[in-house]
Amino acid sequence: MSAAEWQIVWFTVWVAALSTLTILPIGLALAFALARGNWPGKSIVETFITLPLVMPPVATGLILLTVLGKHGGGGWFDFRIVFTWRAVLLALSVMSLPLLVRSARTAFEEVNPRLEQIARTLGAGGWRVFFTITVPLAGRGIIGGMLLAFARALGEFGATIMVAGNIPGKTQTISLGIFENVTIGQNAQAYHLLAASVVLAFIAVWSSEFFLRRKKTA
Amino acid sequence: MNFRVMKRLVLASLLCGSLNLRAADITVFAAASLSDVLTKIGANFQAQTGINVEFNFGASSLLAQQIEAGAPADIFFSADEAQMARLENDNLTDPATRKSILANSLVVIIPNDSALQIKSANDLTNADVKQIALADPKAVPAGVYAKAWLEKMQLWPAIEPKVVPTENVRAALAAVASGNVDAGVVYKTDAAISKNVKITYEVPRADGPDISYPMALVKGSLQPDAAKKFLNYLSSKEAGQVFTQYGFLLRE
Amino acid sequence: MSLVLKNISLPLAHFTLEADLEMRQRVTAVYGPSGAGKTSLLDLIAGLRAPRSAFIQLDGDVLTDTAENFSVATHRRGIGYVPQDLALFPHLAVRQNLLYGRKSGETASPLFNFEHVIKVLEIEPLIARGVTELSGGEKQRVALARALLSSPRLLLLDEPLASLDAPLKEKIIPYLARIREEFQIPMLCVTHDRFVALTLADEIVVLMGGKVMQTGAVAEVFTRPANAEVAKFTGVETFQPGKIISVADGLATVNVGNVTLTALAPATESRNVFVCIRGEEVILQRAAASASSVRNRLSGCILSFRPEGALVRVELDAGFPLFALVTRPACAELELREGATVTALIKAPAIHLVPR
Repeated sequence: MSAAEWQIVWFTVWVAALSTLTILPIGLALAFALARGNWPGKSIVETFITLPLVMPPVATGLILLTVLGKHGGGGWFDFRIVFTWRAVLLALSVMSLPLLVRSARTAFEEVNPRLEQIARTLGAGGWRVFFTITVPLAGRGIIGGMLLAFARALGEFGATIMVAGNIPGKTQTISLGIFENVTIGQNAQAYHLLAASVVLAFIAVWSSEFFLRRKKTA
Repeated sequence: MNFRVMKRLVLASLLCGSLNLRAADITVFAAASLSDVLTKIGANFQAQTGINVEFNFGASSLLAQQIEAGAPADIFFSADEAQMARLENDNLTDPATRKSILANSLVVIIPNDSALQIKSANDLTNADVKQIALADPKAVPAGVYAKAWLEKMQLWPAIEPKVVPTENVRAALAAVASGNVDAGVVYKTDAAISKNVKITYEVPRADGPDISYPMALVKGSLQPDAAKKFLNYLSSKEAGQVFTQYGFLLRE
Repeated sequence: MSLVLKNISLPLAHFTLEADLEMRQRVTAVYGPSGAGKTSLLDLIAGLRAPRSAFIQLDGDVLTDTAENFSVATHRRGIGYVPQDLALFPHLAVRQNLLYGRKSGETASPLFNFEHVIKVLEIEPLIARGVTELSGGEKQRVALARALLSSPRLLLLDEPLASLDAPLKEKIIPYLARIREEFQIPMLCVTHDRFVALTLADEIVVLMGGKVMQTGAVAEVFTRPANAEVAKFTGVETFQPGKIISVADGLATVNVGNVTLTALAPATESRNVFVCIRGEEVILQRAAASASSVRNRLSGCILSFRPEGALVRVELDAGFPLFALVTRPACAELELREGATVTALIKAPAIHLVPR
């Protein structure tokens, strides 16, 4: 593999990892809110979170582009998001968030709420209960969900190409690179990237299953 | 519902499907910049001969890749010689039918409401021009031509970091029209199509590369006669008038 | 201590929990059948459930006042809670569980000192273990210790012995008693087990179907149930304090009122007991007793009658208040009437001694 191809691979891994960390706070917050209690509008929020999973990724990308692009009211950002790596980060985050929320929600639902209640009677406030009781007990499910989100982010195409474009060296991820190379007839490079894509996806999904699977048998 | 009836229904629908295909007559894979003009010409042709023409418009490089992969095209109408040569080298087109009748010129466009001042190639290097949309300069003809121009002006290294490559020239046009980029380089004929962009600089013929639109019969064509008829029609005076109407230049 | 519950109203699945009472004693048992709303009551006091309406005040501090839309958050109430399922944190070792409620930088009173608590509850050897390795009784004691180590000003216990078998129950009760003595904190104990109520509580609140049926001193409630429902549930007609004077050959000699009874010696060492005699186990006869196997033959004066369906509840003064349940025909046959003297026969095995 050439230096350019390695750059694409490292960029993809780095931005996918960053997006997974970015969605962690909001993903856990949403998952927890959905796992505990009933509140007005809960089913609407649930549905919106699931949308990026079932809508065509280009459609989601178009929504992002419209909201962010200069003529979509997003012009108040002084620095550019569209057609930069930040747009890649955004696209990956939006597309992989639903996977994290679903896994984390299941994990939170499996935590006995009585334990949280008793922790409160022992004097622990909301945040302390969340971080010392809820999260550790939901740990495996959360990590499994993060790995799943990471795997999804690695493979993201439709939304990315819409809102970040396919700019070599700047926004070109592995999937975008495969697409360009095939289009211009550089098949060898396309296959190199394909191999990298398969290896990365395999590792991510296998480790995700490891965390999610073990929990059920424990 | 028993199996026999199912089988007959499937066969019947397949038959109907193939009947439909025959009605399409010929398929033309053509460069994106030819979208509007060829649709018009194709309609004229059908009115005269009754032969229906279906178009697949896109970046010439993408179309070439599709033909290489076996897509059913009767005619390939490319925006540059390189993509035509690509197919000829693979023995996918008939060299005897190859002809180039059109040329075009490049322009720099900006969004209609933009206040940018770009009066020369050099102005593209200004700091307030942050992102420039080009059709992918690696292989899409419009981008390849734009890069050739800028290389000739010795401005390519300064401009390359600002380039946002798009899938084809119409996508570059759309990017400028929506205001997502500051400027773009497209064909003059494209700029005329959109109301949301304005031409801020026309590339003089001397500065730009030689733009050529070759067309040829695809060897795998199932309708070679109908296809050749259309190729001839495209070279006719009648078609030439429509081309000129849309801003294309005729090569002679 | 003083725990005031006013205007409590909490809709539950089959009924609405309502209460209006004040608890002052050191140990109060909330006593009633399963599903009576007892756990919900504890949840309300701990602030874990929101009532439709309530006013809850502990030692002068208002914890909940729905009229003012005021409620102190659970973690600020300082109320320890040992739930029925114990809720030990499975991902923490015993030591971390115990120290979870510890407030940092606080000068804990010597009463709730870590070493002291684990000594009283005898869990020193368990400290380093994981929670899942513990036996039922060990878990119970760890849960108790954990609640104590948070220096609570009130301790809530939900069915503290429910998940234990009989021999284990007898083992844990002394620990609860120790908590009462050593740590001097008020305890509110929910139970459907009469044994627990009798042994631990100073005061009983009888809760049935979400309503408070009766409150009062233990002896009072058990001897004079406010109504038939309470009586059915408490199940004992005669319930008197007594003192064991001697034990021999498995039999105990007990002083009750101004008479002496022979009963089976109880398992515990305690000399102070409650004497429980079910009404149906008391035989009445007119003539003075002749030789029979019955060890306890008391002469008594009939004080009152109360018909209860096919039976009649007879109250006697036999040196202590004694209740007998006899059939109507028997009443007529023996010509029982107020003021008459009869002999009451009670077999030794029919007298239940419960440590006090």
